[in-house]
Amino acid sequence: MALNLRQKQTECITRMLNLNQPVNSTGTANEEVYKILIYDKYCQNMLSPLIHVKDLRKHGVTLYFLIDKDRKPVHDVPAVYFVQPNQSNIQRIVNDASHSLYDSFHLNFSSSIPRPLLEDLASGMLNSDSINRISKVHDQYLEFVTLEENLFSLAQKSSYVQLNDPSAGDREIEEIIEKIVSGLFCVLATLAVVPIIRCPRGGPAEMVASALDQRMRDHLLSKNNLFSEGGNFASSFQRPILCIFDRTFELSVGIQHDFRYRPLVHDVLGLKLNRLSVPGEKGGMRSYELDSFDPFWVANGSLEFPEVAIEIETQLNKYKKDVDEVNRRTGGNAEEFDGQDLIGNTKHLMNAVNSLPELTERKQVIDKHTNIATVLLGEIKERSLDSYAKKEYDMMVRGGIDRNELLSVLKGKGTKMDKLRFAIMFLISTESIPQSEIKSLNVSLASANSASRSNIVDWAEKLYGQSISAVTAGVKNLLSNDRQLALTRTVDALMEGRPNPEIDSYVLYDPRAPKSSSGASHLKGPFKEAIVFMIGGGNYVEYGSLQELALRQQPVKHVIYGTTEILTGAEFVEQLSLLGQKMGLGSSSAPPTH
Amino acid sequence: MPVKLQQSSFRDRTPEFLNVAERLKKSFSSTQNGANSASKAEEQRFAVAMQSEFNKRASKIGFGIHQTSQKLSKLAKCKLSTSLNPAVAKRTSVFDDPTMEIQELTAVIKQDITALNSAVVDLQLLSNSRNESGNISSDTTTHSTTVVDDLKNRLMSATKEFKEVLTMRTENLKVHENRRQLFSTASKDSTNPFVRQRPLATRSAASASASPPPWANGSPSSSQLFPRKQIDGESQPLIQQQQQQQQQQQQQLVPLQDSYMQSRAEALQNVESTIHELSSIFNQLATLVSQQGELAIRIDENMDDTLANVEGAQGALLKYLHSISSNRWLMIKIFFVLIFFLMVFLFFVA
Repeated sequence: MALNLRQKQTECITRMLNLNQPVNSTGTANEEVYKILIYDKYCQNMLSPLIHVKDLRKHGVTLYFLIDKDRKPVHDVPAVYFVQPNQSNIQRIVNDASHSLYDSFHLNFSSSIPRPLLEDLASGMLNSDSINRISKVHDQYLEFVTLEENLFSLAQKSSYVQLNDPSAGDREIEEIIEKIVSGLFCVLATLAVVPIIRCPRGGPAEMVASALDQRMRDHLLSKNNLFSEGGNFASSFQRPILCIFDRTFELSVGIQHDFRYRPLVHDVLGLKLNRLSVPGEKGGMRSYELDSFDPFWVANGSLEFPEVAIEIETQLNKYKKDVDEVNRRTGGNAEEFDGQDLIGNTKHLMNAVNSLPELTERKQVIDKHTNIATVLLGEIKERSLDSYAKKEYDMMVRGGIDRNELLSVLKGKGTKMDKLRFAIMFLISTESIPQSEIKSLNVSLASANSASRSNIVDWAEKLYGQSISAVTAGVKNLLSNDRQLALTRTVDALMEGRPNPEIDSYVLYDPRAPKSSSGASHLKGPFKEAIVFMIGGGNYVEYGSLQELALRQQPVKHVIYGTTEILTGAEFVEQLSLLGQKMGLGSSSAPPTH
Repeated sequence: MPVKLQQSSFRDRTPEFLNVAERLKKSFSSTQNGANSASKAEEQRFAVAMQSEFNKRASKIGFGIHQTSQKLSKLAKCKLSTSLNPAVAKRTSVFDDPTMEIQELTAVIKQDITALNSAVVDLQLLSNSRNESGNISSDTTTHSTTVVDDLKNRLMSATKEFKEVLTMRTENLKVHENRRQLFSTASKDSTNPFVRQRPLATRSAASASASPPPWANGSPSSSQLFPRKQIDGESQPLIQQQQQQQQQQQQQLVPLQDSYMQSRAEALQNVESTIHELSSIFNQLATLVSQQGELAIRIDENMDDTLANVEGAQGALLKYLHSISSNRWLMIKIFFVLIFFLMVFLFFVA
């Protein structure tokens, strides 16, 4: 049972587009109904990596709109709404219904609509006497964005800042936890699994885990639960494990520079929702899509950049060879004109014509990646990202670098953000830091950039001086010589289930087990599948290393990675600086609540 | 509510919603709701009538295309089955029947496609006339054009499938012919009828038209063209006596073969003419759908463009506003200066 999140989400959306009737084998609607799709911003972000306009056409959707746009009436056509359940959307729906914009309304909410909003909707409809236009109301449990086959994000902004905000009250923290739990619940509902939950003690991870456990228990007790496999999955072999972590578990991954293709494209060029805008060769901006339908991206996403360039070259050469062969076979046969051979020539010509689209597609892919790689190369040279990546790697392995080297890097090439990230990595990687170092670091940073980013160093120092120091020291210990991420090692240990001092202290929740039973040992057994969730922001580096872990195992295991949002290094550092400001630097405020 | 099937990960809240509505309705008064509905109905009736006419025809066409593609798949299966059993003995003499069926089906499908083609053209005319008649919202026009485009696309793909099936059929027939020749005795003038050969052409002087292939030309040559075609598929190797015997048999069976061959020839001819007609339909469709373009765009692409355009427009408008207001100030100043000069002039003269 391989959990393919993207496929499942696409299936759900397909079904929804077919007005929630079973889809027949050809994938088109049973009845020939043309509909209109209306969504809001969140659902647009969710739909755009999954479905293109031609898929919409295949399912009979002619028009698609944002719910906030002013729309004109299209009579006699059913409308499918796919929105989040909040007050403003409900208002708009009531508005549309009262103006009778469409013939019938099929409402689909991305997560469960709470009862008060449902009553609001009903009363609004009754007031405008359009209650008969609503044909269906559904909860779709799809409130997450799937970017790749095994990568999802809840698209909840600034969760790290909000969770670690010292001024946040209990209620706000609970709200955030609730949102995260509902997103995770949607993921599990779509996959239709009840996993075993494990998380480290303390911190938001444990709060999320216990809340999720509670929610799933309540849901399983209700009659029409969505996890209808019944009780046949008693052994731990069938159920996946859900590991929840917090960003502070391993801060360095969110900040460091990495030199592989996928993290580079995300970090440097800003890959959002699988879309990318780069300046093209002729000067205009071109926008590309990089997802699992792009064979080059899938095959070479985790290679280091120089290897990627070599791959592009080989692909280009292969393409040129194929084109030459096609030309040779069809073009130069004029002198061998023969009655019999005419048919053979025609056959060749037909084959050539048939292979033309494939060849053009290959050329397009190669061109796209050549363009991206060229732009990347420019950025790398300008900011000397390769040296940053290498030095950070050395720092994490060795535990600090020479002070002169540090200062020289800070004075060297690179944007302010690069230097800042490097400085933070330095702080994290060294185990002990004398005070003088901090001051000099401050000075050099301040001279290197005029912006007042030195507060971030203060924050880091403060954080360092308190309980986090133990964690980062522990993190350092977790790193082995081959520089595997701490997250990967932990997930590996959790999946194998052997007793391991690192993870023995982790909390275990099993929503299926009755409350009173203790954690049976069989629940810690080896797992074939895992869902790893990172609260506070993740990135493609973690995703890549988890995929490597999954492929390395014997037999091949399956890991899905999700986070509250996908952040580049720069975005994460900005969140940290925001947090530093909130903490009020220089004052002896309380340590951040965890 | 019963537990749904295994694929379901959604919940139907409609009954709950309706219950809530019922409950709330009881607490409202019912008098206010009567008047509004009548007036709204009137003004929408015309638009709805036109729209539903369009919708009905569109759904009819869609249904027609669906049925046609089902027939096409049946045809493909038929052909596939005949091509998969070339060595079965019985078939060689019996495959008139599938041929007839195939031909019928082909003719029916061709008629269907032509009818659907004209229906789509009609639908487009209807939607154009309706769009120009006014008081229809722009969304409706976009919707109807999209529906027509979609139908055209589906018709085109159905036609393409049809063409492929016909090509496959031609190839199957070719293969059959070749196979039959393989099992014929080694005779010098066993020819491949598919290759244009000069001797045949000279022999059949009374050829109907340029395009029909040589094998369709007249019965007198057939007895010489296919002297050995009587023989079963997986024959035992023929020895001389059998050959002589067969020669005699063939003389008797020539008329039978004749008609059989003739029907096959006709079938082939039909196939070729059908392909010609299909190509013309293709061209027509191609001109109709040439504005389609690539639809592999994402949902959010237009949004960014629109946003950028709107922002650009806003900037342009602001600039214009600035220029207007500054013009006004400039005009006022000039006005004052003129008044001043006028006063001075009057003062001096008067």
